Amino acid sequence: MARYVTQRIIYMIITLFLIATATFFLMKLLPGTPFNLEDKLTAAQKAALYEEYGLNDPLPVQYANYIFGLVQGDMGISFQFDNRKVEDLIMSRIGPSAQLGFQSLVLGTLLGLILGLISALKRNTGYDYTSNVIAILGISIPSFVFAGLLQYTFGVKLGILPVSFWDSFKHTILPTIALAIFPLATVQRFLRTEMLEVLGSDYIELARAKGLKNSVVTYKHALRNALIPVITIMGPMVVGLMTGSLVIEKIFAIPGIGEQFVRSIQMNDYSMIMGTTMFFSVLFVVVILIVDLLYVVVDPRIRLTGGKE
Amino acid sequence: MEKVLEVKDLTVSFDTYGGKVQAVRGVSFDLYKGETLAIVGESGSGKSVTTKSLMGLIPSPPGRIEKGEINFEGKNLAKLSDSEMTKIRGKDISMIFQDPMTSLNPTMKIGNQIMEGLIKHQKMNRADAKKRAIELLELVGIPKASERINQYPHQFSGGMRQRVVIAISLACNPKILIADEPTTALDVTIQAQILDLMKDLQQKTEASIIFITHDLGVVANVADRVAVMYAGKIVEIGTVDDVFYNPKHPYTWGLLGSMPTLDSTEEELVAIPGSPPDLINPPKGDAFAPRNPYALKIDLEQEPPMFKVSDTHYAATWLLHENAPKVEPPESVKRRMKGFAKTGAAPAAGDKKGDES
Repeated sequence: MARYVTQRIIYMIITLFLIATATFFLMKLLPGTPFNLEDKLTAAQKAALYEEYGLNDPLPVQYANYIFGLVQGDMGISFQFDNRKVEDLIMSRIGPSAQLGFQSLVLGTLLGLILGLISALKRNTGYDYTSNVIAILGISIPSFVFAGLLQYTFGVKLGILPVSFWDSFKHTILPTIALAIFPLATVQRFLRTEMLEVLGSDYIELARAKGLKNSVVTYKHALRNALIPVITIMGPMVVGLMTGSLVIEKIFAIPGIGEQFVRSIQMNDYSMIMGTTMFFSVLFVVVILIVDLLYVVVDPRIRLTGGKE
Repeated sequence: MEKVLEVKDLTVSFDTYGGKVQAVRGVSFDLYKGETLAIVGESGSGKSVTTKSLMGLIPSPPGRIEKGEINFEGKNLAKLSDSEMTKIRGKDISMIFQDPMTSLNPTMKIGNQIMEGLIKHQKMNRADAKKRAIELLELVGIPKASERINQYPHQFSGGMRQRVVIAISLACNPKILIADEPTTALDVTIQAQILDLMKDLQQKTEASIIFITHDLGVVANVADRVAVMYAGKIVEIGTVDDVFYNPKHPYTWGLLGSMPTLDSTEEELVAIPGSPPDLINPPKGDAFAPRNPYALKIDLEQEPPMFKVSDTHYAATWLLHENAPKVEPPESVKRRMKGFAKTGAAPAAGDKKGDES
């Protein structure tokens, strides 16, 4: 187990290095510089700024400097926010994003599990059809369209919830729903399919043949086995929430990382773009590792290579 | 002999998009204490559906018992609700499934899977149930049982898993054990071991066994009586000797003729021409008539009743009617019948020590 985790961490570092490299060069391909919108500066002043920030150095040198800084934990200084450090900026913005991501993950997963279970147990009834329609709408309607609809209905027409901004818990409700619809739909589809397959399996029939109650068969025998594959999609789903929040934060004017990230790209804030990308990447690889380790806990058939038993 | 189960005119159908499939059409038989009744027939003949109805395991919808009685200890099981059936399933009637690779829950320890039934039906506490589970595993021949109960199904081989499934089915000392092709998914040497184990356990527990199979070699080896099913009906029923030495129904002749034996090097296997009828629209008359070279005109018009051959032997074919022409089984089947007598594949009563021949 320890050997497996060590091995995985080495792979994670290699992955992160490749992501950093690719992002760095792709970003440099973007037109413009951090200062090309500063109309009041003269050409000479701009040149002095380029020199000061090392933007006149050849690309490989800039790259080497950046990676060297990154290894030492230095993500550089933001170009747009009064020379503040990138890691401080990310930390100051993480609160709303984390709260939003967590709330929508919990809400979406829970509702998805409930709807998926109802669908499978009440197969081909009105309950099943309703649950399926919700899931299909959730998968096919883009979150920004859904967010707009929510704002219009609950904010403008009914006037019961704030349209945007980040203040009280009330302000978090609409963006949470807008973001939760995707995990909800994904989990519903997955659990329904898995549950139906498990319910038709031989070991469920054997459990019934033992004379166990229906509820015991469903929850103790079927649900646990149906949940294992659902864990597989948790990793991609968390990532989906992270990227989904970029748009949602912009729409609801939430001061989160996503909103800041979008602005950084518009402003060519090189160090912020790199910093945020690396932050998301680290989160991503860690989530995937956790999901893989969770497998071992829930499915006794899976033994990690390098593990002993 | 004491009757433990009486099935009368059992009729089971399934609603499908194509129409109502009449999977079982009026099956009647009795099961006596301590005997083994084999039900044979090709795929789709209604063997499994019949036995699943006995346990109330017909998925409903789409399946339902249309009519008939299943009388067990003064109760008609066909009329019981699902929650009433949970008190009988696993306790009085239990089942061994076909494929041991898929019939155990992959994420639950073997011990817990055996203990569940004990805790539910015998009201044991966990410690007693665990003790009993270890005893059961030892009884079905699993070495180091006290360690093995903490393992998961994937840590067992196919044959060992089937032993676990047998242990589960025996946990509450059932009066009736239904074995649905318990050796089909196993290789031949393991098959013989499992069959021996079942015979051995039957003697210890005095349970009655209903043994579903399409392997006539296995029938000869384990059964006391045989019921031959075709298109949802029993077409011939009798003792092993009746059915193997004196078969009356042309479908039974076909089955015996298509059974490979070790001494039949010179002949080809006989196949039954055609395919089983569509049970959405079962044919008028005898369902086997279109495939039956001995079919009479009346077979296409009217269903044959069960004719009595002897006190133990009945067959549903018009050939047994007093006005029917006298027909002998085909030569190959006659040689087969003599072959059984010679090799002892169909053992005489009392001698149940058959090998896989």
